[in-house]
Amino acid sequence: MEYVSPEGLRLDGRRPMEMRQLRAEIGTVAKADGSAVFEMGNTKVIAAVYGPREVQNRSQQISDQALVRCEYSMANFSTGDRLRKPKGDRRSTEISLVIRQTMEACILTHLMPRSQIDIFVQVLQADGGTRSACINAATLALADAGIPMRDIVTSCSAGYLNSAPLLDLNYIEDSAGGPDVTVAILPKLDKVTLLQMDAKLPVDIFENVMGLAIEGCKAVSNYIKEVLLGNTKQLEYRRGL
Amino acid sequence: MAAKPGSVPTTYPPNPGPKTRPPIFKDNDLDWVRPDGRGFHQCRPAFFRTGAVNSASGSAYAEFGNTKVIVSVFGPRESKKAMMYSDTGRLNCNVSYTTFATPVRGQGSDHKEFSSMLHKSLEGAIMLETFPKTTVDVFALVLESGGSDLPVVISCASLALADAGIMMYDLVAAVSVSCLGKNLVIDPILEEESYQDGSLMLTCMPSRYEVTQLTFTGEWSTPDINEAMQLCLDACDKLGKVMRSCLKEAASASQE
Amino acid sequence: MVGLSVGEKHFIQGGIAQDLRSDGRKRLTYRPIYVETGVIPQAHGSARVRLGATDVIASVKAELGKPSALQSDKGKIAIYVDCSPTAAPVFEGRGGEELSTELSIALQRCLLGGKSGAGAGIDPSSLVVVEGKVCWDLYIDGLVISSDGNLLDALAAAIKAALSNTGIPKVDLAAETTGDEQPEVNISDEEFLQFDTSGIPVIVTLTRVGRHYIVDATSEEESQMSSAVSISVNRKGHICGLTKRGGAGLDPSIILDMISVAKHVSEQLTIKLDSEIAAAEASEEES
Repeated sequence: MEYVSPEGLRLDGRRPMEMRQLRAEIGTVAKADGSAVFEMGNTKVIAAVYGPREVQNRSQQISDQALVRCEYSMANFSTGDRLRKPKGDRRSTEISLVIRQTMEACILTHLMPRSQIDIFVQVLQADGGTRSACINAATLALADAGIPMRDIVTSCSAGYLNSAPLLDLNYIEDSAGGPDVTVAILPKLDKVTLLQMDAKLPVDIFENVMGLAIEGCKAVSNYIKEVLLGNTKQLEYRRGL
Repeated sequence: MAAKPGSVPTTYPPNPGPKTRPPIFKDNDLDWVRPDGRGFHQCRPAFFRTGAVNSASGSAYAEFGNTKVIVSVFGPRESKKAMMYSDTGRLNCNVSYTTFATPVRGQGSDHKEFSSMLHKSLEGAIMLETFPKTTVDVFALVLESGGSDLPVVISCASLALADAGIMMYDLVAAVSVSCLGKNLVIDPILEEESYQDGSLMLTCMPSRYEVTQLTFTGEWSTPDINEAMQLCLDACDKLGKVMRSCLKEAASASQE
Repeated sequence: MVGLSVGEKHFIQGGIAQDLRSDGRKRLTYRPIYVETGVIPQAHGSARVRLGATDVIASVKAELGKPSALQSDKGKIAIYVDCSPTAAPVFEGRGGEELSTELSIALQRCLLGGKSGAGAGIDPSSLVVVEGKVCWDLYIDGLVISSDGNLLDALAAAIKAALSNTGIPKVDLAAETTGDEQPEVNISDEEFLQFDTSGIPVIVTLTRVGRHYIVDATSEEESQMSSAVSISVNRKGHICGLTKRGGAGLDPSIILDMISVAKHVSEQLTIKLDSEIAAAEASEEES
């Protein structure tokens, strides 16, 4: 199948190096300590953060740092065909773990010993790149909850189809079976915290694709900073400062 | 276990005397009879017996026509360590079906909500504060599903709780009514339930005259609701008496 | 779940007794309802309803299936509710399952009518394509995103809005089939059939606190309830379903009184909800 037309356009009309439209909103779940909606094109996820709070299960308490937990769940209506799988299948367990590890690496957990931070991500619409969207949403929610972090984490994926590196794959491109590289970075520190790839790629092309994904992460981080800044300005305005 | 030796099971009409036949179904379905030959407002003969399971703290067996259930009660026993401290007791209910309970094998798992319904109908009647930090388990097993399963389970469970010596404000009696066309039929059997247009289930504490649980399905008008509720309350009252006499019988038998 | 001090409890109960609740509402006043339709483009119909801090999404998906042997002239409708852990940490893992089942069963009871299909909000016989062979199976999924009490009313409103937003593709029979063969059908991409949603009831939950009952309780108020009765009422004022929650017993006469109050409240709620749905549909078409 042709994923990039001779004119250099992808199936959804994007250029190979073009991202889908980003949209983010902070504070969508009123009851949570921090929450955010993050959209990448048709992919839409909600993240909610509860904590830092007392550890629910005493046996999991860590005496010198905070316990970070994460749960990823998909709504029944999030996919094209209705999802019938029960909660907690292998895929969501794996993604929960990935998100947890990525976020744990950037939270300053040593500042909050003997406490617990819960991150819940809920996929409302899945159109490829849910992993990245979840990480971006979780960052925003953590920032909204005021949890100290080294830096924001942003994530983006890139793939390689029809011998062209493509940024931010959608569902059709994702399920084409080609390589799919998901990267998460700490933009200010310029460090990679998550790197995942399935299928295979020659090393020189991999560098290329990963570079593209990192560029995507940087673009996301610019957007996220903008949103956070806008949110803070609004808070300032509401306080009458 | 079908019948007590030497006594013939009798049906008990919830309304006294001639009121049992309201005029509504005369003009409508003149020749319609219930599959088991009962009157519309006649319950199936109820049979209760306590002490069906020896290892349990309390148990009861109930048989309403083809509906047969066993309920065993365990506890009060120490709550699981993982549970938080609570100054009232916990009630844990579970309703399960045997694989041969339903006409088609293994269909009983459709009734996931029964456990929570059982819990909700009983918790109001039990004095939970009398056994803090502990849990009472109520396990109901439907041996044969013959319609009105949940009401039978609830009535039987309250009897088992009484047998276990759990403090209760009152026994809980439950009755359901099906709406078929314009007729209200009490204590429906499986066949009637599958054709019903609407149903009502009411559980109450007869001597306190309090409703602990009530559900409606289907479309109901206000006069119908009044009539059906009155019907259920009367039936619960009668059922309560049957349950009480069963307990008395068991107590006097043990004294001898 | 909600930790309240004695003073707060007293404040809530006292406010309800004096017909002035903590957020300034009267006992029988709803929080403002916000409806947004078409939020899930992948579904055939969807809606998001917000009631204060309660936030729910409902989606409708239709799949072609085979009617059951017992009821060959009717399609199937299933309602599932999922409580997202974003709404409360207790819903994590399997923690939300119990509440999800309870809500699903209550909604099924209130919206789908009796076993024979009488009194259902959506006529299941309208879902049949070829009798006994092809019908639409309607899957209604509810998702609780944020929970601040009164989930059942919000979910029922969201389902009502999602159904009025639903377009089921028109189906043509491809060729004449005979006997027991499964007929082939063409699903049209352009023509959609709308549902008649005027018969779908609204659910009014009356929460009893002290000697009074209130509608649209917040989770703080719900923690003070002795019992709650959810009553679904359709446009004709008929009761389509009733579910009781909470352990405390009620006198039968109080239940009858609650039903009449719920009927009265439902009239205003139906009007309000209809206008909100119409407004949401209009704004969706504009954008």
